Amino acid sequence: MSIKVTQLKKSFKMFKRQAGLKNAFTSFFNRKYETFHALKGIDLNIDDGEILGVLGENGAGKTTLMKILIGLLYPTEGDVFVDDYVPSKRNKDFLRQISIVMGQKNQLWWDIPASESFLLNKQIYNLSDVEYKDSLDELVTLFDVSEKLDVQVRRLSLGERMKMEIIAALLHRPKIILLDEPTIGLDVIAQSKIRDFITYYNQEHKSTFLLTSHYMSDIEKLCKRVAVIHQGIKLYDGQFSTLIDNINPTKKMMFEFQNLPSKAILKELEEKYTFTLENNILTTHSPEKIIPEMLADLFAIEKPTSFRLEDLPVEDTMKSFFENPDEFI
Amino acid sequence: MIQNAAKYWAVLKLTWIRTLEYKANAFVGLFAIISGIAIEYLIWIQIFATQKITEIRGFTFIELMIYLYLSIIVGQLKSSWQTSQEMIDDIRNGGLNRYLVRPISYFWYNFSLFIGHNSLYYIIYGLLILIAPFIFPAYLFQNYFHIFGFLLALILSIFLSYSVYFFMVGFAFWFGEVRSLITAYNLANVILAGQMVPLSFFPAKMQYVLSFTPIPYLVDFPVSIATSRLDMSLWPMGFLKLSVWIVVIYIAGQIVYRIGIRKYGAFGA
Repeated sequence: MSIKVTQLKKSFKMFKRQAGLKNAFTSFFNRKYETFHALKGIDLNIDDGEILGVLGENGAGKTTLMKILIGLLYPTEGDVFVDDYVPSKRNKDFLRQISIVMGQKNQLWWDIPASESFLLNKQIYNLSDVEYKDSLDELVTLFDVSEKLDVQVRRLSLGERMKMEIIAALLHRPKIILLDEPTIGLDVIAQSKIRDFITYYNQEHKSTFLLTSHYMSDIEKLCKRVAVIHQGIKLYDGQFSTLIDNINPTKKMMFEFQNLPSKAILKELEEKYTFTLENNILTTHSPEKIIPEMLADLFAIEKPTSFRLEDLPVEDTMKSFFENPDEFI
Repeated sequence: MIQNAAKYWAVLKLTWIRTLEYKANAFVGLFAIISGIAIEYLIWIQIFATQKITEIRGFTFIELMIYLYLSIIVGQLKSSWQTSQEMIDDIRNGGLNRYLVRPISYFWYNFSLFIGHNSLYYIIYGLLILIAPFIFPAYLFQNYFHIFGFLLALILSIFLSYSVYFFMVGFAFWFGEVRSLITAYNLANVILAGQMVPLSFFPAKMQYVLSFTPIPYLVDFPVSIATSRLDMSLWPMGFLKLSVWIVVIYIAGQIVYRIGIRKYGAFGA
């Protein structure tokens, strides 16, 4: 199933008042509302079987976009089509082919084991016994949670609950899966497990995934393509690696000298390059194209004890991007 | 149709399972009905004794007690406190999302929850209703028509009651908090529907006004059939009016929901 979004806008009317008893009293009689424009004309096409990462700081409009795509919210303006379906009409056939997992809200019944909620979903999605068993077995094995199926949901750990949520959302093998912060609050092992699962499931079932996450490692490992939303506007849509290169085309290089070069040589280097020197280790953050020339100069001085070349951490790169997005795009 | 029924049957079963997880909570509700009947008994026995009367507005003491006994039980059978609270929270806090993203009707899903929450009471109160005719054979269910008439009126009135709750809860899309509306309705239901005193005790003008509302059909109508206080010739008109109220309130609830859902912000999730 493919997704086509054209000039999508969504506004909310928000009640607003300042803190304090007097303001509470005043607003009781004279309420003031403000219109908040969550999405300001988004265009987006997502192909069948793609994994798209949606990036943006808190309040950028990512979750609003997801809620419109699954039909929870009506667009204020613009068109949204998932194949031929209009999500806000909540056609039952459409709902059978799509699913959403929101990190902080659940569809599992809290006081009873997850297996009971799965049986309910079997009925809701009208799955045959064979379909249900195949799907459940596959998901339970992938997440390794067979021991936890009969434990009350409220007694499960956060990671176990999230796995159960994903199982509940995928039992009917939807063609489109929206994951809003699926790894939020999870430890690194659970995060990795969920990432592995998404990769496997996408390859095995050719499902289309839309993923939001504040953990850049999720995006880096799962999404070739990302859409960046900033204050309701799509700033970027393309390869994640290209975005990173655009934002921060520098590399970090560390070169450990066997013997510290003479002051004259160091001065010569300082005139050509920017670097720091500490305990015989020269460290530089320089544009990628300068690195080969610099390396050649350094090797000409002497063979190093060791040297290392690395990209800047993606988290740091994206942090600097979100602090001032207009500067980069 | 069968597939749809299977969905809501599954919801109902799940509610039973959840209810059984908390055995104590399920039985605490019983005290409400027992204490209600005890209070009514103590009040009316005093009134009859001090006023030295044998009858009040066509009710002997025993007839009045049986009417109130049945009224309190019937009133309790349609209590939607838990379900309506959950529905309000769904709308306020974004819990509605989990229904909207699945091919399921929010109205019928919650109706299954409503029946599920009350099912244990249906069994226990059903037993209380069943034993009453054996204790007071002259006052209840004079023939099979009265049993079937009562059951049909009861089932319809339970559906009407749920539809009224659904209609009121829908206003949470605009106002966010409508618990006071539910509380006011519950209070009106206790006082005006016949759970404290029979409707015939109210002044004529008040009875006239109430006749233009669904309130008499919630408790008084089924109880009046069971106790033979309503002549059988008046049943068809009563059932017709009850059915019309169901259709009107159901449609009103669906309209409020469909308009309200467009305003739904899905916040909190």
